[in-house]
Amino acid sequence: MSSVAVGILSGALMGIVFGFALEKSRVFEPGMIVGQMQLRNWIMLKVFLTAVATGAVVLAFLHGFGFVKLQPKAALYAADIVGGLILGAGIALAGACPGTTLAQIGVGYRDAIFTLFGGLAGAVAFSYAQPWLAKSLIGTGPKLLFTDLAGIAYWQGALALAAVIVVILALIERARPWRNDLGADVDGDVSGEAARPRNRLAPAE
Amino acid sequence: MSPFDKAWSPYAAGILIGLLQIPAFLLIETALGASSSYVTVGAAIAGLVDPSLLKIDYAAKHIAANAKNLWQVALVIGIALGAFVSMKLSGAVRAPISPIWARALGSSSSSLRYAVAFVAGFLMLFGARIADGCTSGHGLSGMAQLSVGSTVAVAAMFAGGIVTASLLLRRI
Repeated sequence: MSSVAVGILSGALMGIVFGFALEKSRVFEPGMIVGQMQLRNWIMLKVFLTAVATGAVVLAFLHGFGFVKLQPKAALYAADIVGGLILGAGIALAGACPGTTLAQIGVGYRDAIFTLFGGLAGAVAFSYAQPWLAKSLIGTGPKLLFTDLAGIAYWQGALALAAVIVVILALIERARPWRNDLGADVDGDVSGEAARPRNRLAPAE
Repeated sequence: MSPFDKAWSPYAAGILIGLLQIPAFLLIETALGASSSYVTVGAAIAGLVDPSLLKIDYAAKHIAANAKNLWQVALVIGIALGAFVSMKLSGAVRAPISPIWARALGSSSSSLRYAVAFVAGFLMLFGARIADGCTSGHGLSGMAQLSVGSTVAVAAMFAGGIVTASLLLRRI
């Protein structure tokens, strides 16, 4: 099988698993993502940090035993900060990130189709601006890892990161059990359970 | 943790997502990511209208029909399929627009929500392409690889998200 066919087939299978996990964890719900950004719902951070820790353990072994090369992106601080801020603003207003937008479309959220088209337009606009932005803002930089700075092996740093994340998650979970953040309709909308009435304008009986 | 459940623990789902790095690194020699696929699809479509776009190296590199580009397009299409299958198995029913938006935007107008979603999508991808990655590429993959640049990008992403959700959106 050609490498392109392997790419498409494995991408589709991995995507199905990814989308399944995003839907089951409910992290793709606008209620979860906006809730996380308003610091009132912690499911997104829990899924995110668990996936980072798992990836770190997996890569500690795969890289430590020499099966794979790491693929870090270059450290471009100005671009990372400016781009990250704009990306974050978009995530809050979309109630989605570029990957979870597709999960929202999969379950039938109509506004996510507009997020997708806006995203395609943004990607095209960037492509036109890229030659200029590359010179003025983005530039070039080294592929720098924290373990390079600390002078230790990647696998040691990766396992240490995973251990720290496990401790942080245990503390968050103790303060805020994940079931409390699901909402009655498992969409991160916990307003119905809160003291605040859902329909403030209802006439007094 | 059955496929028919409406919700799994975030830890079970997170482990499953993290394990996807194994096939990504072994088969495609890349890390999980999602946002470059928007350039691949967007530039391929826009290139039909304006072929001069494809003279820009960045666009040409992303629309090349190689394993890495098409892998990521297949990945994001798979995400939609996987979410659809999961929803069908659990019998979860969704409204066409999440009920949180009427409160967050202070209006139940669906046209307003569609306009905000379009602008949000634009910002999301314009920002992700400046930073060279999104929640997946910088977040899941970059942080797992202990990348200094990715950690800065993720911190900026959460900062931008928290400020925007606090100032521009109402409490959900």
